[in-house]
Amino acid sequence: MSIARFSPFELLLLKSRSQVDTATLLLLAWVLVHRQHVSEGQRRRRLAQVTAQFRHGHELGPVMSIAHSQDLQAIQLAAEVVRKECGKERSLSVIHQAITVATDDGELSLANHYILRFFADLLSVAPTTLNTLFKELTGTPLASPEDPSRDTYWQTHDPDYHARKARDAAAAEQQQQQANARAEQQQREKEQRHHQKQQKQQEKQQEKQRRQEEARQAREQAQQRQQEQERQRQREQAEREQQRSRQQDSQQQRSSYQEERRNNHSRQQRASPPPPDRTTRALSILGLNPGATRIEVRHAYRRMAQLHHPDRYYSESEQQVALASARFQRIKNAYDYLMQTY
Amino acid sequence: MRDLYQRLAIPPEANEQAIQHAVTSCQHSALRQDAEAVFSVAERREAYDTLHDTVSDIGKLRARLGLSHGAHWQGDVANDFSLPPDHAISRHDELVDRVSHAVSLYNRWRRLRGPWLLIAVFAAGAGIGAGLGLALCWGLLPV
Repeated sequence: MSIARFSPFELLLLKSRSQVDTATLLLLAWVLVHRQHVSEGQRRRRLAQVTAQFRHGHELGPVMSIAHSQDLQAIQLAAEVVRKECGKERSLSVIHQAITVATDDGELSLANHYILRFFADLLSVAPTTLNTLFKELTGTPLASPEDPSRDTYWQTHDPDYHARKARDAAAAEQQQQQANARAEQQQREKEQRHHQKQQKQQEKQQEKQRRQEEARQAREQAQQRQQEQERQRQREQAEREQQRSRQQDSQQQRSSYQEERRNNHSRQQRASPPPPDRTTRALSILGLNPGATRIEVRHAYRRMAQLHHPDRYYSESEQQVALASARFQRIKNAYDYLMQTY
Repeated sequence: MRDLYQRLAIPPEANEQAIQHAVTSCQHSALRQDAEAVFSVAERREAYDTLHDTVSDIGKLRARLGLSHGAHWQGDVANDFSLPPDHAISRHDELVDRVSHAVSLYNRWRRLRGPWLLIAVFAAGAGIGAGLGLALCWGLLPV
């Protein structure tokens, strides 16, 4: 057994002379609260007018305040009472009153669209009946509610939609321009840096060449000196001849070795094969091994496109569709690349 | 009417930054465009939020009253705002229970009030008599 106190609406309902009337009053007040561009006094007067024959026997003020507080439990209780007590005649009259209250100036607010339909379901009034009733009362057919969760709704209902869009576009363009300018400047700086680097490299190379030259000269001088010495030694000591011949041998060997190395080096420079990386990757996306023919590529593409086409995931979630379209895009890119290169 | 918060997987009370992040990282281009249109402008978001509150209230009411499959509750609204029935007790039954409890308490009080009233009156009379007797005994009252 609950120990909570009676809520204001429950007390109102218990004191009321007619529970159905009090409950209907709350539901109508709920509709009125969701009408736009209406003052509080107008709401009260309208409610009093519509419910002139009701036999509830209490003030309207508390009902309006409960409706304003959006007390979901009170509204649920009212809906239960109305559903329990209303026959066919009475439920039609409740719907009638709700439509009258909701569309005095012929315009139904979005919230009231849903509230009216909720009442119709609650009182088991068929859609056709609701439509005819609405048309009789307002002269216009009951349209389906517009959808403010879509861009098109704001296109028609926001007066400065296009102005705002233009402003956003201008701001985006300005940003783009700024970014472009920045990128250009960066590019220029990069080029300058590159230029400087090249200059430095050239200087370095020149330096290196100079150093090599000096080293060669030094070596030649050393050789000359050596030869002179050897000649002296030849002149002085005949037994050094053998040694000199051995030295010459070793020099020859060294020179031949150097030549070989130079050859090797040039061969290495020549052997730089083009990277077949992208082609193999594209082939592996289509599930093929390197060396597949053009026809095989086309068949594989058709198969994969059928498997991963986003339309296959139409009935599933948006996430799935997005994933499938990403996959499909990748497959298509791979196929396009292969068709260009093959 | 779709529930953009649910579709972007963010709570309705999320702040600007979280919403911005969710919108930009959304993979579905049409949904992203709609969400940008609604959430980029404060007034539009306010209008959307009021309607969102009302419609989710109606969704709750429908779930409690067993009306989540009505003829007037179809399409995007029904998809996004229908809740599973929460098996809450009917408010009217609860009210009837509480009224009957209050009535039984009241009846018990009425039933017990008669004997208790007699006892109280008797005790009060006895007290007054005893007081008077004592006063007479001690000669405090002029006779």
